Amino acid sequence: MKLHRIGAMAERVLRQLWHDRRVLAFMLLLPAFAMILFGYSFSGDIRGVRVAFVDEDKTDLTASILENLQKDEALTVRVLAPGGDPERLLLDGGYQAVIRIPAKFTSLYYAHFAMGVATSAQGRIDLTLDESDPQIAATVRKSLADALLKLGEGGPVDVQVRDLYGVEVRFIDSFAPAIMGMVVAMISTVLTLLSIVREKVDGTFARVWVSPVRRGEFILGYVLAFGLIALVQSAVVLTIGSLVFHIVINGSIFWAFLCVILFAVGSVGLGTLLSALAQTESQAVVFFPLVMLPSVLLSGMMWPVQAIPAVLRPLSYLVPLTYSNRVLRAVMVKGLAPWQEPLGFGGVLAFVVLTVVAASLVLRQRGRSTE
Amino acid sequence: MSREGAPVFSAKAVVKTFGTLRAVDGLSLAVEAGEIYGLVGPSGSGKTTLMRMLCGLTPPTAGEVRLLGYLMPRERRAVEEQFGYMPQERAVYRDLSIGENLLFFGQIYGMDRKRIAARTAQLLEMMNLADRSRQRADRLSGGERQRLSLACTLIHEADALLLDEPTIGLDPALRAEFWDYFHQLSAQGRTLLVSTHYLHEADRCGRVGLMQRGHLAAEGTPAELKSRAAALSGRAVPDMEDVFLVLTGARQGGAQ
Ligand SMILES: Nc1ncnc2c1ncn2[C@@H]1O[C@H](COP(=O)(O)OP(=O)(O)OP(=O)(O)O)[C@@H](O)[C@H]1O
Ligand SMILES: [Mg+2]
Repeated sequence: MKLHRIGAMAERVLRQLWHDRRVLAFMLLLPAFAMILFGYSFSGDIRGVRVAFVDEDKTDLTASILENLQKDEALTVRVLAPGGDPERLLLDGGYQAVIRIPAKFTSLYYAHFAMGVATSAQGRIDLTLDESDPQIAATVRKSLADALLKLGEGGPVDVQVRDLYGVEVRFIDSFAPAIMGMVVAMISTVLTLLSIVREKVDGTFARVWVSPVRRGEFILGYVLAFGLIALVQSAVVLTIGSLVFHIVINGSIFWAFLCVILFAVGSVGLGTLLSALAQTESQAVVFFPLVMLPSVLLSGMMWPVQAIPAVLRPLSYLVPLTYSNRVLRAVMVKGLAPWQEPLGFGGVLAFVVLTVVAASLVLRQRGRSTE
Repeated sequence: MSREGAPVFSAKAVVKTFGTLRAVDGLSLAVEAGEIYGLVGPSGSGKTTLMRMLCGLTPPTAGEVRLLGYLMPRERRAVEEQFGYMPQERAVYRDLSIGENLLFFGQIYGMDRKRIAARTAQLLEMMNLADRSRQRADRLSGGERQRLSLACTLIHEADALLLDEPTIGLDPALRAEFWDYFHQLSAQGRTLLVSTHYLHEADRCGRVGLMQRGHLAAEGTPAELKSRAAALSGRAVPDMEDVFLVLTGARQGGAQ
């Protein structure tokens, strides 16, 4: 193992990318593009759900419920006079939910507290919901529950909320680590794969094979080059994340970059491994969706792994990005050290070792085989 | 260098099969230091396969292949810095410039930048590519790329050179220049194994092996081959193409 040969390999890979301005631009714009696109379309916080509020009781209590609802940014509340048919309001009125507080609500509510279990009397609120969009419906349910909780003393239960892991964590905050992992994995895997396949097609691979370059040096050259690129890409994601989306990073940037680089190393290994299965550049292209789709769908990037049907869930644990997401979120959002998220960190380390070892075995086979 | 006076390139009863195809079929040869050995034969006769085995790129199915006395591919680490291989395809990095290609191939052979720069200037001068070192390889003409490919093989000044069809696709003048250059290299004591299917080029080799269906149909200096063909056909055979046809049995005794 000679450092200067690893350096020569890495320098060559970087020079090749430098000459290919389109690929270079793509590498830098992709993280920016992904961050902005996903950031805006999945900013996650639903806002402005149109809610009709019909108050047939008109007391201080109902007024404070209304006030709580109006403070909730998720809802746009319109107060309507009693008498309308809730179903019509949903169908024709353009509302997504109707909250109706029947007459005597307040007296029943207090009666319940005065007499406890001795009475079946209880304040009741009618909620008519458009269930065709479950996420909207869930938002309204949650907002209403929050509004009732905030009634304070006299409320049914006193829930004390303790927000762990720093300030309010928004969807985008936990999304940035996933984007970082996804972009780095995609670029490192795909460009390594393409570059090695091209070396084989052009015959430069044969030249390198007969030279003093060892398999390990060959792979490490790629690792070094794409490790550097991963750093730059992560910096782009973080910069856009903080400038445009004001993401909150609670943890250490150092550990985050270290984990991203490790993940890039594994991705280079994966690209090398896949290069053994492709003889031509067009065959190589076939692998892209094979790598990308499971990463996006099964890694817990868009929705938690718990939301994936039980049949598919084991597959999630075969997707490298699942582990990268776990450890990067632990580091960046929760502010933990990588080893405090053993499953994620261990998964990334295992990914690195497995792919790099397998890649160097496969390189040996390819070099000596028939073609 | 070569192990105990062993030939630079040697093959003993070498067989290479691909499935049922016997690409190289019981071939033996020995090339001594300083020779220019021409491997001449039609397309598909196994020239490239033999060279790839000599480089350690692919193991023989049977028999043994040695480079500077070292068994290939098993002992290839012992000789990896001492030979240069020019693959048949113009194997250069298309997205790198001429200078960057030479830089990379010099670096992996452990040369420092200063030595690479000096050697690059020298090679580009020789290849008529001086002042072009910043040009990208994919903007070069076929012949220019071929010259770059040869320069990449020569950068680390190896003593044993395997050149797979170095002159294919070149115009006659350039081809003649290449051969002059090969003779210079051999005069410096280097050993060249050059494959070609231009039969006229055989005349410029020290020794020629006529390859046919994976084995050597005939071997000797061009003069020897011509006199053997003359003896066989009963008339003078000055043209290498006729020599090949006579010696491979494609054409007998002067009959047309
Ligand atoms: N990897 C391979 N798999 C299967 N067959 C192969 C392989 N490599 C070579 N062959 C076959 O072996 C035979 C010899 O090929 P080779 O490339 O050695 O010929 P050649 O003399 O170099 O021809 P040319 O002058 O066209 O370059 C051919 O029939 C070729 O199809
Ligand atoms: Mg050939």
